[in-house]
Amino acid sequence: MSEVKRIIVSEQEKKVTEQKSRRAARSLIKWKPYLFLLPAILLLGVWMYKPLLSTFVLAFQKWSMVPGTEPITVGLDNFIRLFQTKDFIHSIENTIFYTIGILPFSIIIPMLLAVATNGLNGRVKNVYRAMFFIPMILAPVTVGAIWRWLFHPANGLVNLTLQKLGITDGNISFFTDPVYAKWLILFMTGWGLIGFSTIIFSAALTNINRDYFEAAALDGATKWKQLLTITIPLLSPTILFMLTMSILFSSQFTFAYIDILTAGGPFGSSTNIYYEMYKYGFNNLNAGLSSAAATLFFIVFAIIAIGLNLLTKKFAFYDN
Amino acid sequence: MFILLLGMTLVLSACSSSNATTVSQEMGELDPENPTKVTFYSYSLAAPTMKEGMEHLINEFNDTIGKEKGVIVEGVADASYQQFKADIAAGKAVDIVQHTFSTLDNSRETLGFQAYEDVFPAEELNNHLNGISDNALSLGKIDGKTYGLAFTFSTPIVFMNGQLFEEAGLDPTKPPQTWEEIKEYSLKINEATGKDGFALAPDNGWTTEGVILSNGGKVLSDDRKEAQFANQESIEAIEMWKDLYQNGAHAVGSDTELPEQFMAGNLGMYITSTAMHSGFKNASEAGGWELYGAGLPSFGNNPSVPVNSGSVLAVRPDNDVKKAAIWEFIKYVTGNEGYTIITSEVGYLPLRTELADDPNYLKGFIEENPLYKINLEQLNNIQPAVIWPAEYATEMSDIFRDAIVQSVSTDADVEKTLQAAEEEINQLIQ
Repeated sequence: MSEVKRIIVSEQEKKVTEQKSRRAARSLIKWKPYLFLLPAILLLGVWMYKPLLSTFVLAFQKWSMVPGTEPITVGLDNFIRLFQTKDFIHSIENTIFYTIGILPFSIIIPMLLAVATNGLNGRVKNVYRAMFFIPMILAPVTVGAIWRWLFHPANGLVNLTLQKLGITDGNISFFTDPVYAKWLILFMTGWGLIGFSTIIFSAALTNINRDYFEAAALDGATKWKQLLTITIPLLSPTILFMLTMSILFSSQFTFAYIDILTAGGPFGSSTNIYYEMYKYGFNNLNAGLSSAAATLFFIVFAIIAIGLNLLTKKFAFYDN
Repeated sequence: MFILLLGMTLVLSACSSSNATTVSQEMGELDPENPTKVTFYSYSLAAPTMKEGMEHLINEFNDTIGKEKGVIVEGVADASYQQFKADIAAGKAVDIVQHTFSTLDNSRETLGFQAYEDVFPAEELNNHLNGISDNALSLGKIDGKTYGLAFTFSTPIVFMNGQLFEEAGLDPTKPPQTWEEIKEYSLKINEATGKDGFALAPDNGWTTEGVILSNGGKVLSDDRKEAQFANQESIEAIEMWKDLYQNGAHAVGSDTELPEQFMAGNLGMYITSTAMHSGFKNASEAGGWELYGAGLPSFGNNPSVPVNSGSVLAVRPDNDVKKAAIWEFIKYVTGNEGYTIITSEVGYLPLRTELADDPNYLKGFIEENPLYKINLEQLNNIQPAVIWPAEYATEMSDIFRDAIVQSVSTDADVEKTLQAAEEEINQLIQ
């Protein structure tokens, strides 16, 4: 009897422990995805979400970021002052100028270069692509210094050449001229970006099945026709990707050249919104104003990014 | 997940600490066995023409007094006066800063710089300041207290390329005295040599004030509560400059490009700080031409009023031992040895002016480089460069500079441009 009882009890215990371990396993299964996510969430939290939240809070405060001082809440003051600042309006106009101006360098020229070099044989193709890519891997500070020498008003090669050819008759100070400065910064940024985009487009091109071109050629389609009806539609995901990239990052790409060559000048004519934010924050030590600008920038660009995402869903064509 | 994020945010926010600095004039004991490290943020260390001299000054201190007393100074090059701000904001130890005048008040309020009278013993301080020109000492004072001790100091000089002068049939030993003569000479040089005759960088930042003051104008009211640079005299002065700039004999370019043009021997006259002297002298020797100098030109017969450029030493000691270490360095660099190196190797003026007549220190150097005499003479009627009022000082000095650049280098109406800028600054002051 007691023997039987013991067996029953031990059976019951077994069941209970089994149930327990099963429950533990189940809850582990439930939590497992989150455990895997934890490192990523932690990193994102520390480096992205926390600063983002701080920015939103700081936008309504006044603070010089000096250790030992406390931020003061000032309501909407920062936003009001932002729109009264002359250079801020300038910087928005220029941000739009740089964003649109960069598109030929990030899409049209690289696509043509990729298509043109795609038909070449192995080694030649690599030589060309290496040539295109080199500007991308040069440090902007070095590039800036070299371009500054080239465009020096009195000692630079560009001015000397222009005068020798009789195109101009006096020195042009490119980086203190409100028109030239802007265009040069755009051009230099674009020059660096071409290499990167060409590589992306070349990679996308290699993925297109050669059979399409052969079939089209058999049917008598010209190269131009092939480009328009086969290449471009099949490149559409890449085009939209590069469009998104260059719209969202053009301000960042131009930043280094603005800082090195013009510091936003002359009289704020070449600055962009990134540079203004940097100036407010780290030159004028006005974290509030900088955060207010960043908040506006975040909202506007979030809307643009969503728009581009929808556009990609609608127009990108995938060859499955 | 959201709760997790929120929790993390709270934990992280709690991490930001606050440390208040104590104020006392007591100084701690230095220990040569266990030296105290002090950081020195210097823009001269980032300027090619001044770097070597400034490094020499720091090393000389570390090798002598520093070794003896137990102080090691580490120089940090700060090209655009931003590194020290960023590092203070990041909580790093920023002990001594070579600080410009125009934003000193701002730094005093926002960056925790301290008044010399508050941190160093009065007796030590008075003993040391004895012998430094009063005119210079008053420039770093705000509300009666020394927030910056005059350190490197210079006045604007008309540098001249002797070769281009001679090619144009002009005598470089008879330099232009007035702005009218500057115009006349520059046109002659341009005509004879095809090179630019004259330059004053529109974005120079400080000589501009001298130009305005020389014509009886003003930049900021005496109580520092109102910008006043849109008055008739100032407008006239800037219009004169604009005429110079646009008559075809003026070089174009920025404050960093024009010295390069002058050093390459492609510019007849260039107004800038004497701090450029050593670099210009080397360039002239390499290029085979003679370097000459003259004081800031005047408007007609009114004497010109140069302003000073240069820097003060601003300090933020965070404990008593640091304080003693900082004081040793300051005593050295603004003492006889310090100024000898600063003048002969970096290019600034000796603020202990009697060193210029002392054969043990600078007499020989000044005799070899007569240009410094002009500089020392200008020290007598010097006016302080504007210290813009605290909170928005950097913005204000930017607005002022931009308005001048626009007025001088473009077709913009001078009066309207200056008025708009003045209004913008006055709105910030309120």
